[in-house]
Amino acid sequence: MSSRPPPGHFTLLYFASATAFSKKASEHFESPLPLTKLFELLESKYPGIKENVLHSCAVTINLDYVDLDLDQGADAEPVMIKEGDEVAIIPPVSSG
Amino acid sequence: MADSTEQTLFILAEEGIHVELTRAHLDAGAVMNKVKSPKAGAIVLFAGTTRDNFNSKPVKELQYTAYPPRALQTLLTIARTMKENHGLQGIALIHRLGVVPIGEESILIAVSAPHRQAAWRAGEEALEECKAKAEIWKLEEFGGDEGGVWRANRDGAEGVRVDSKEERIDGFA
Repeated sequence: MSSRPPPGHFTLLYFASATAFSKKASEHFESPLPLTKLFELLESKYPGIKENVLHSCAVTINLDYVDLDLDQGADAEPVMIKEGDEVAIIPPVSSG
Repeated sequence: MADSTEQTLFILAEEGIHVELTRAHLDAGAVMNKVKSPKAGAIVLFAGTTRDNFNSKPVKELQYTAYPPRALQTLLTIARTMKENHGLQGIALIHRLGVVPIGEESILIAVSAPHRQAAWRAGEEALEECKAKAEIWKLEEFGGDEGGVWRANRDGAEGVRVDSKEERIDGFA
């Protein structure tokens, strides 16, 4: 579905409205990256993507949904995106 | 991907359960056969077909894309839950991907149960769960300057416009 990321990188997959905005199906970014920095990184590369797309999206890491709620408490271990991870931006779905 | 041997993208199956994403034309008879059982007194089959308009705006064609491994897991979870909660003999959930011409089936759901009440209820619930959760997206192509719109099921909103056909990149359609 996408090429393997080079060493020190993870893969990010886009779908539907996210693909329409980034004009990509996937790309690689440097790892590790704190999950809380992901949307900032994308906004810097694709200005406007947060407001137009990401605000309504969920995120999976290696097929599991992750909590994007930033208020995890001071003691909580921040979720890190690791080398080789497959991260996906999941827009609101529309099957059927 | 046009090769007929690659028409079926992904299938997960276990006892009484079949979930699938495919680029092929959907076959209602074949889906019913997957849930047939001598213990079943009822089979309910739902076929979702592509409509030629959205809020009376003419739609030229529809295109579905998916995150296949994630969508299959979601479909499997829905199927297991329906089978357990409604005491089904069998359940099959199949969604078509790629371009689906107007009037053709985009989703087929078949459930079998000892009695009809459970089958009716499970069929409806399975569809609503799929529409709410399966990682599959519909692009409505209006044609002309209008371009296409990625629909979102959850709010019936207009969705997000695609600038132009040339700019569409789609790894999984």
